[in-house]
Amino acid sequence: MVKRTVLFILIFSFLAVLPLFMPRFYVYLISIILLTGLLATSLNLAIGYCGIYQFHHAIFYGLGAYGSTLMITKTNVSPFIAFIVGPIVALLFSLLIGLICLRLTKLYFGMLQISLGSLIWAIVYRWYSFTGGDDGIHGIPVPEVFANIKGSYYFTLIIVSISIFILYRIVNSPFGKTIQGIRDNPIRTVSIGVNIDVHKLVVLMIAGFFGGVSGMLFVVVDNAVFPDMMFWTHSLEILIMTLLGGMYTFWGPFIGAVIIVSLRTYLGSVTQYWPMILGIILIFVIIFLPQGIYGLIEDFIKGNAHNARS
Amino acid sequence: MNSSSILTQLIVGLSRTMILFIVSSGMSLILGVLRIPNVAHGSFYMIGAFLSYTITSFLGEGSYSFWLGITLAPIIVGLIGFFLERGFFSYLYEREHLMLLLLTFGFASILGDLVKLTWGAEYRTMNTPAFLQGSADFFGLPIPNYNLFLLLIGPVIAIILWFIFNKTKFGKIARAAAVDKEMVSAVGINVNLIFSLTFVFGCLLAGLGGALIAPIVNISLGMDHSLIMEVFLIVIIGGLGNIWGALLGSLIFGITQSFGILIWPQFGIIFPYLAVVIVLLIRPRGLLSSTW
Amino acid sequence: MKFIKNFVLILLFLVFAEFAQCADVIKIGIVDTYSGPATTFTQDVLDGFSLALSQINQKGVLGKKIEFVTRDDKFKPDIALTMAKELVLKENVDILMGTISSASALAISDFCKKEKIPFLVTFAKSDKITGEKGHRYVFNMNENTEMAGRAAAKVLSKKNFKKYWIAGDDYEYGHAIANSVFNHLKELNPKVEKLGETWWKVGETDFTPYITQILSAKPDFVIVATGGAGMVNFQKAAQSTGFNKKIPFYQHTAIELSTLMPQGKNAPEGVYGTANYLFYYPATKENKEFAESFKKKYGRYPKSGALYGYITAHMIAKAFEKAGKVDKEKFIDALEGLTVDSPIGKVEMRACDHQIMLPTFFGITKKSSEYDFLIASDIISIPAKEYMPTCQEVLKLRK
Repeated sequence: MVKRTVLFILIFSFLAVLPLFMPRFYVYLISIILLTGLLATSLNLAIGYCGIYQFHHAIFYGLGAYGSTLMITKTNVSPFIAFIVGPIVALLFSLLIGLICLRLTKLYFGMLQISLGSLIWAIVYRWYSFTGGDDGIHGIPVPEVFANIKGSYYFTLIIVSISIFILYRIVNSPFGKTIQGIRDNPIRTVSIGVNIDVHKLVVLMIAGFFGGVSGMLFVVVDNAVFPDMMFWTHSLEILIMTLLGGMYTFWGPFIGAVIIVSLRTYLGSVTQYWPMILGIILIFVIIFLPQGIYGLIEDFIKGNAHNARS
Repeated sequence: MNSSSILTQLIVGLSRTMILFIVSSGMSLILGVLRIPNVAHGSFYMIGAFLSYTITSFLGEGSYSFWLGITLAPIIVGLIGFFLERGFFSYLYEREHLMLLLLTFGFASILGDLVKLTWGAEYRTMNTPAFLQGSADFFGLPIPNYNLFLLLIGPVIAIILWFIFNKTKFGKIARAAAVDKEMVSAVGINVNLIFSLTFVFGCLLAGLGGALIAPIVNISLGMDHSLIMEVFLIVIIGGLGNIWGALLGSLIFGITQSFGILIWPQFGIIFPYLAVVIVLLIRPRGLLSSTW
Repeated sequence: MKFIKNFVLILLFLVFAEFAQCADVIKIGIVDTYSGPATTFTQDVLDGFSLALSQINQKGVLGKKIEFVTRDDKFKPDIALTMAKELVLKENVDILMGTISSASALAISDFCKKEKIPFLVTFAKSDKITGEKGHRYVFNMNENTEMAGRAAAKVLSKKNFKKYWIAGDDYEYGHAIANSVFNHLKELNPKVEKLGETWWKVGETDFTPYITQILSAKPDFVIVATGGAGMVNFQKAAQSTGFNKKIPFYQHTAIELSTLMPQGKNAPEGVYGTANYLFYYPATKENKEFAESFKKKYGRYPKSGALYGYITAHMIAKAFEKAGKVDKEKFIDALEGLTVDSPIGKVEMRACDHQIMLPTFFGITKKSSEYDFLIASDIISIPAKEYMPTCQEVLKLRK
C-alpha cells in the first residue's frame, strides 16, 4: 500500500516538472491524454464497476464542453464559474437520461441511451445560431493563465489528479462495494435491502459529472468545441479504450486511453493506414489478454513481487 | 403537398428502407443468434458495394453483369465472414460479451483500411442496369424504376428469410440455439456449425445491401460508418433475431426520417431517434419477439 | 575507450546532420483528410502541390529545397487540431497547409493566430475563414461560399427565371452557398421570389421524395446546395427521375470534373454550374501543359484541387524569394498582393483579406464527343474583380 502511494507521488512529481524539459507538443499531448484518461475512467465507473451499459458516454463529455463554452461566450460570468457549470450541465443531463433509461437493462439501456444521446447531438448539430452547428465554436477565450500550453497543462493535471483521486475513493468505499454487488448479483443485493435504482442513478450522475469535467478540460486545452465530440463514434472510441485497458480494474481504462491516444498520434505520423494497425493490436489483445492490458501489467508486477519474495 | 405527392413520397421513401431492412436483417441474425455486437457489419456492406462495382466494371454494364454482381458480391462477402468466424470469432464466444466489441471494432478498422488499399481513395459510381433505368409516372410524378425494383426485392428477401428461419430445420435449430445453446448441443446438434452458417448469412445480407445500393449512390470509403448506428437501433426496436422485426424497425426509421425532414427541415433528423425512444419506452424488448 | 569515442563522434555527426538537414530545407506541414469520401478531393491538392514542387525544387528557393509532411485528420476537427499542433510544435514546420473541413480549418486558423505561423487553407470553403474570422496569419487558397454565390448570382440574375426553390445538404456549407446565391440574386434582380426550401441530411442517397416535393411546387429554377459526395448522388437522382429535363437547376461544382467524371456518359445534361477550374478551358498553352504533365505523372486529369495545390506551391516559393529569408512575418508581407502564373492565367493574393482571387467559370453540362464524361458548354468566364465582395465589405465582418 505504501509502495503504491510512493509510486503515485513519483509519477505525479514527474508529471509536474514535465513542462520544464519536454517540448511543448508533448506537454499538450499529455494534457489530452490526461483528460481522455479521466473520461475513460469515468465511463468505467458505470460500465466496469456497476455493469451499466453506458453506450453513449461521449454525450456527457460534449455537454460539459458545450456547457462551459456557451457560458463563456454567451454570458458575462467569470470563466471559473463557467468551468463548473459545464460539468453540472452534464450532471443534470445524466440525471435526466438516467431517470428515463433505468427502467431498461443492459443492451436495451445502452440503445435507449444512444437514441437519447443522438437526439441531443442532432439538436446541437442543427442549432447553428446557438451552438455553432457543424462548424463548432473556436477561439474560446479562457483566462490568461490557462491560455497557453503550460498553463492549461497544469490546470488539467491538477483537476484530473483530484478527480481520479475522488473516483478512486468512491470505488473503494462501501458505496463502491455495493455497486459492484449490483453488477455481479443484483438479486442478492436487492435482498439485503439495497435500492438498486437509486444507486445506479447516483453512479450515472457521478460518471456523467466527471465526463463533463473531462469535456471542460478539453475546452481549456484546445479552446474549441465540435458536435463530433458527442457523436456515437466518439462514445465507441471511449468504450474501446476502457475495454482495451481492462474494464474490471481501476487503472485499466486510463492505460487504454494512454495507449489509444499515443498510438493514434504517433502512428498517424508514420502511416496513413494506422486504423488497420490499431485493429490488429485490438484483436491481439482480445485473443491473448482477456482481462485487458492492465491485467497483463498487474500480473507482471505481482509476478515480480512474488519472485522478489522468494 | 397534396395526397398524390404524399403517396409518392411514401412509396419512394420506402425503397430506401428496403436496403436498411436487408442490412438490418443480417445484423438481427448475428446479434440475435450469436449475440455478437458486430460493428464490422458496416464494413461488409461497404465491401459488397465495392465488389459489385468491380464486377460490373470488369464485365461491362449489361443486365448480365448486374445480376452477377448482386449474387457474387454477397457470396464473396459471406466467404470473408466465414473465414473471420472460423478463424477468430468461433474461439471467442465464451468471452465477455462486451469484449467482443473490441474484436469486431478491430476487424472493422482493418477491413476499412483494406478497402482503401485495394480500391484507393477515389470514389466510384456505377450506373443502374439499362433495363432498370428511367422512371415510371405516378400521378405525374416520376418514380425511378430502380426504386420500384428495390420495393419488390425487399419483401421477396423478407419472405425468403422468413421461410429459411421459420420453416426449415436449419432455421428452427438456429433460433433454438439462440435461446439456449447448451440445450441444443446437448441434443447432439453441432451448434458451432449452425452459428457459423448464421454468421455467414448475416454477412451475406450486409453485402447484398451494399451491392443493391451501389448503383444509386457514391461508392466511397466511409460507407461503413454511414448506417451502422441506424442498423443497431432498428434491430433493437424490431426484436433481436426477428426478420419481420427488422422490416418493421426499418420502416419506422426510414419513414420518420423522410417525413421528418420534409415537415421540419431544421430539426427533422431527430424524428427517427424520437421514434426509437418512444418504442423502447413502450415496448422495452422490441416490438416483436426477441430471441434474448 | 576508443569505442566510446567513436560512438560519441557518430552520435554528434548524426545530430549535426539532423540540424544541418533541417537548416537546408523549407518545411511545409499539410493537415488534411486522407480517409473517407473527402480523399478524392484532397489527393488532388497534394498531387498538384507535389507537381509544382518538383519543378520549383529544381532551382530551389533561397538555396533550399521545399519539403512537406502530411497528416491525416480523418475529417475530425479534434484530430485536425492535434495534428496541426504536432506539425507546428514538434515538426517545426515553416508553413501550415490544409484542410477540407471548414470546422477544422477554423479551429486550426485560431491556433495559427496564437502561434503566429502562416496557415494556407486549401479546400475548406467557409467564408468565415477570411471573413468574420480572418486575421493576419490565415490565407485562403481557394474560393469561398460567398464568392461562389455571388458569381452564380451574377449570371442567373440575367436570366428569365422568377420563381426559385432552394434545396440542399443540411449543413453549414449547404446553407452558406444557398443563401449566398439567393441573397445576391435578389439584390441584382428584385423580381425573383423564393417559393420554398427543402433540406436533406448530409449523405442522403435517396432524393426522390424531395425531388417529387419540388416538382409539385412547380418552381422555374432550383438552387441545389450539395457538397462533396452529395453532388454525384443528386445528379444521379436527377438523371433517373428526369428532373434535369423538367426543371433547370444549379449547383456549385456541377460542371467540375470531380462531379462529372465518375458518372461517365450517364451524367445529366443541362445542369447549370460554377467551377473554378476546368482542365480543358481555357484552352491555353499553360492549361494544356499543366493538364498533360499532371496526367502523365498521376494517370488522371487534374481537378480543381490540383489547381489549388499548384498555386499554393508557387505562391509559397515566390513569397519566400521576395521575402529574402525564411522568416514567417516577412513571408506574410511578401504574400500579400503577390501574383503568380497559373494554368488559368495570373492569380493574385488579395492583400486586404488574404483571399485568393480566382476567376469563376459558369457553364451548362453537355455530352462530349471527345471525352467519356460530360463537359461544360456555353462557358462564361467571370474575372475575380467583377464578383468578389470588396475589401470594405469583408473587413467590416471582422469588426
